Amino acid sequence: MSTTEAVRPVLSGRDAYRAELTALAAADPRILCLEADLGGRGHPFAEAHPDRFFNLGIAEGAMIDMATGLASAGFRPFVSTFAPFAALRAAESIKLGLGYLGAGVVVVAPYAGVSGAWFGTTHHCLEDFAVLQSFPGIVIAAPYGEEETRAIVREAAASDRPYYVRTGRNAAYRGLLRPGEPVPPVTWAGDGVPDGVCLVSVGEVGTELCLQAREQRPDLGHAHLCRVDAGHLTEAASLLRSRFRRFVVVEEHRPAGGVASSLALALPDAQVHGVGAGNRWPSHGGSHEEVLTALGLDLAAVLAAVDQA
Amino acid sequence: MTAVASETTVEELRARAVHARRLVVDMAASAVGCHLGGSLSVLDILIAGLDRADRGDGTELVLSKGHAAAGLYAALHVSGRLPEDPSVRYGQAGAPFTGHPGPLVPGVRFPTGSLGHGVPYAAGWALARRFAGSGLGIAVSGDGELQEGLVWETLQVAAARKLGNFVLVVDRNGGQNDGLVADISPLPDLRARFAAFGFATAEVDGHDLGALRDVLAGTGDGDRPLAVVANTVKGKGVPVIEGKAASHYVKIDAARAAKWKRTLR
Repeated sequence: MSTTEAVRPVLSGRDAYRAELTALAAADPRILCLEADLGGRGHPFAEAHPDRFFNLGIAEGAMIDMATGLASAGFRPFVSTFAPFAALRAAESIKLGLGYLGAGVVVVAPYAGVSGAWFGTTHHCLEDFAVLQSFPGIVIAAPYGEEETRAIVREAAASDRPYYVRTGRNAAYRGLLRPGEPVPPVTWAGDGVPDGVCLVSVGEVGTELCLQAREQRPDLGHAHLCRVDAGHLTEAASLLRSRFRRFVVVEEHRPAGGVASSLALALPDAQVHGVGAGNRWPSHGGSHEEVLTALGLDLAAVLAAVDQA
Repeated sequence: MTAVASETTVEELRARAVHARRLVVDMAASAVGCHLGGSLSVLDILIAGLDRADRGDGTELVLSKGHAAAGLYAALHVSGRLPEDPSVRYGQAGAPFTGHPGPLVPGVRFPTGSLGHGVPYAAGWALARRFAGSGLGIAVSGDGELQEGLVWETLQVAAARKLGNFVLVVDRNGGQNDGLVADISPLPDLRARFAAFGFATAEVDGHDLGALRDVLAGTGDGDRPLAVVANTVKGKGVPVIEGKAASHYVKIDAARAAKWKRTLR
């Protein structure tokens, strides 16, 4: 980069989604963008492709069902609303449309986990992996950083499969991928030592915590997973087991139905420990980090789990 | 059931509203800001509704448009139900005053903010109070919130079950997160829609505390639920933001808050 070149700010997951989809749609007339009143004013897709942008209002179930109709007619609809309203409120629409019908709809869900922080319990979603992975056939992705988010959006746009993509709120991370790279089954972010413990990171918070943990414990392996549905986890589990047999999975999710529980089933001869958001209801204010700490998901918890692994 | 007249004067209600608006502006000056425009538009409805609930007959008010939490907390405080000044710890770690309300806050029974749910919560409360023989279930929704199908399912049920003690008050400020209701999903003939569902209907100035008090005092008779279209102004009371869509979510500094509080009306 030349000294005169401006440094572009890193985009949050949801902004990276909007930017990448807007660019892709220029060359793919099948792509549509649907929102349920949470896309914000000045959505780049609406400005670039107004005839293919639809803010349907506060109607999440209708939005996903309409997207199923659009996909069945040959379009590639991307729909977005906050994770609790997509994965929980519209769960039956996802089950029937994306699951049973296998409709080629891509659901992009920001505000996953407790990234909504002080907004409170109604705006948190610590259960989406559990719900989504119980519907066979849907690709579930939890990208970390701008480039991985862009890569999974490109992958989804080129595919005809249903996708669920979870992101955080406004936090921005550069991520582990280089621009233009595809998302591998496993991104190795730390080799670790033979017979050591391997961190398995999922999503924005899980990956940030694992990167922080390795700064203190460079002896740890670190495998980052983006796609976490059953099919992709089976492939990833084989790759993980080829190098390690003790794992600490870090994810912003409840224990039930999370990636740790899925990997434990996929790796019966390995030790799989989970560090997540526990089973309490996050019902107080604070920043994202403060709410995570209140739930017991922080660096200290990761390091303690490593010691016990 | 018999109509219940409020014992609180309109002047007293107005004083509460002014106090509450000051608190809401203070919450906009918190570290996280707040949904200011909708909190100020719904405030007078909440003041009048909580006064109605204070009659002691088992009436419950549910703020379904939970993003106006700052308005609810302020209204609960000035109405004497919430002892703590919510503006001091709004949004902070360890405090229950989240951006959408939940049952850890004194005076709040239901979690709202995922839009639509507060309407059936209130209808369920009304059904329960019918067994008890007194009291209303009052839901306060936004107009954008009416885009949620759950609202209309509840209207159908309430009319079918002749829930004469159920009241829906719509804070019709014309705005929603991404813009104007009229642009995103218009609601023409709103009062006629409610009537078509079998509701008794009324339309009031949503900032006229006397009118709000009167319309809520007169409910509870007969077997038709009541829908009240309360026409309001987003950001009501702070002249520089009144009616502006950009007032939906606001974060200001203490100096601006002090300036705005001096201009409150």
